[in-house]
Amino acid sequence: MKLLDSLRSALRSLVVNKLRSALTMLGVVIGVAAVIAMVAVGNGASERVQSTVLQLGSNLVTVTPGAQTDQGLRGAGAIAQSLTLDDMRSVSEQLAGSIQAIEAEQTAGRWQIVAGGTNWNAPVTGVTEQYPLVRDWKLAAGEFFTESDLRLNAQVAVLGATTAANLFGDGEAVGQTIQLRQAGAAGQRARIISFRVIGVLEAKGSTFGFGRDDQILVPTTTSQRVLTGRTNAVSSIVIKAAATETMAETTEDVRAILLARHKISDPQAADFTVTNQNDTLAALSTITTTFTLLLGSIGGISLLVGGIGIMNIMLVSVNERTREIGIRKAVGARRRDILMQFLIEAIALTGTGGILGILLGWGITEVVKRFQPDVLVVITAGTVAVAVGVSVAIGVIFGLYPAVRAARLHPIEALRYE
Amino acid sequence: MTNPVLVLRGITKTYRMGPENIVHALRGVDLDIGQGEFVAVMGPSGSGKSTLMNIIGCLDVPDSGSYVIRDQDVANLSDDQLAAIRNAQVGFVFQTFNLLPRLDARENVELPLLYGGDRRDRRGRAERALAQVGLADRMRHRPTELSGGQQQRVAIARALLNDPALILADEPTGNLDSRSSAEILAIFQRLNDAGKTVVMVTHEPDVAAHSRRVVRMRDGRVSADERVPAPRHADAELARMVPA
Repeated sequence: MKLLDSLRSALRSLVVNKLRSALTMLGVVIGVAAVIAMVAVGNGASERVQSTVLQLGSNLVTVTPGAQTDQGLRGAGAIAQSLTLDDMRSVSEQLAGSIQAIEAEQTAGRWQIVAGGTNWNAPVTGVTEQYPLVRDWKLAAGEFFTESDLRLNAQVAVLGATTAANLFGDGEAVGQTIQLRQAGAAGQRARIISFRVIGVLEAKGSTFGFGRDDQILVPTTTSQRVLTGRTNAVSSIVIKAAATETMAETTEDVRAILLARHKISDPQAADFTVTNQNDTLAALSTITTTFTLLLGSIGGISLLVGGIGIMNIMLVSVNERTREIGIRKAVGARRRDILMQFLIEAIALTGTGGILGILLGWGITEVVKRFQPDVLVVITAGTVAVAVGVSVAIGVIFGLYPAVRAARLHPIEALRYE
Repeated sequence: MTNPVLVLRGITKTYRMGPENIVHALRGVDLDIGQGEFVAVMGPSGSGKSTLMNIIGCLDVPDSGSYVIRDQDVANLSDDQLAAIRNAQVGFVFQTFNLLPRLDARENVELPLLYGGDRRDRRGRAERALAQVGLADRMRHRPTELSGGQQQRVAIARALLNDPALILADEPTGNLDSRSSAEILAIFQRLNDAGKTVVMVTHEPDVAAHSRRVVRMRDGRVSADERVPAPRHADAELARMVPA
């Protein structure tokens, strides 16, 4: 029997039993739609996590103080003071040719900010002049502080977009003066320090609370001497490698330089930790892949249930059409002809169901986009291809047994069947 | 008999219905049917005529004995090889017509061509076969839209399509009124006059009287095999009937 004849015959039998075909198909439609929609949400989450990580700069190698424990967790963390601005300068000098930029940060905690009559609370971080380069962050207004600001411990600040908006509304922030206040501990005077705003960062938006649009940047040296008193110590050194491919190499170079500077011969005993963004992304992608798999397998289960429905209805169909099978065998149909006929019918059911399921899944993601713009959904060609492949495979898997049963029927018994 | 189409020698067939219930349906049948014969196989129920017809039609294989159809030995053939022989050499006409209800007349007639034979001009050949049985104006009708006699004529057109070695009819008039029966028998006689070999299983002597040779079965054996001296002519009977 030629394929075209089989196909025509299969479609005809599906059209004849419209309601039954539709109901049977529904299982596959819902299964495929569930897989498409759930994987789209999973992919979206994974893409968003990636972009969130890269939003804070790409190709980053980060050095933090404190030893790395066996589990890869940092021990002393921010409390340790083993990293200094001099470490940064040394790395900067020695790797000048092979990195794009470098900066050192010191977190200075949250401060109450007062500008005119307005109050706001925001985290303050000391950073060095290459911060915009390292973090791929442009200024919306004004300029960033320079090396000389750092040398002079200048009391200048660059505001995050949200901070600027909260303090100054639509007004001009650059050139204004803000006061950083911190209530003193018992018996001590509250501290009030004035800064001049020289720039405002572009807004980057936030996801999952990772945004950094609400912050105040000051020169690291100013932070050290005026805000924290932890002279020379920094809480991280961030290096932007020349390219993604050289990140591993840069990571090793940085480690070697700092080991030498800190006069530590055993890398296991290092009083700092070097991590690179690739590792972070890899770790995160493991999580999001698991997440996507989990969502996909929930959809997969409904697809399986749909497949069992197909098998059920194909068995009923074979039973009902026993006489037809007998007639076809009497006029010369071979086993393979009957097998193909029923298999193609099952595949036509699941294939059509798969296509409808893709449309439904796509529709669901469109609805999700409309009502929950925060949830990123991504349908990839791969997902669609897998969904089509899987629905056809389900047709083959669950259609095979009924088709084999049909093919094995003895013509005389099939003809006698009432 | 110069040119035998079927040669059966010592055919036996036993059905095991249960541990104590063994049915010897055929106990050694010898039968030769030549090219262009019109044979009626008669016998009471349980005589083995249905089993014989299944074996002649290659729907079943004998337990022992040999069966040669158009110079091909059927013993030891696989299911699929038997299917190919049915497709090429046997045209079935059943008591219950056995048309596919979802297909129209022409598509039903085309059915054997889906599984073998010359695939060229399928539609044209099906239409000519239908015209041959007087149904040129019923090509696109479904079986449910046709009378019993018309359905049986569609079945005959289907049986003719691959130009088989023989037409094998199992009680072809069993479900028909006398006029339709006469029409069907007239078609068989016309086909036989044109050289087709027809084997017809029936229990009605009136029907068998239209053939040229009657083979009687009893207890799984051929009990009588005789020429019909003066076959009745269905066309003449039709002419005498009151017009429908």
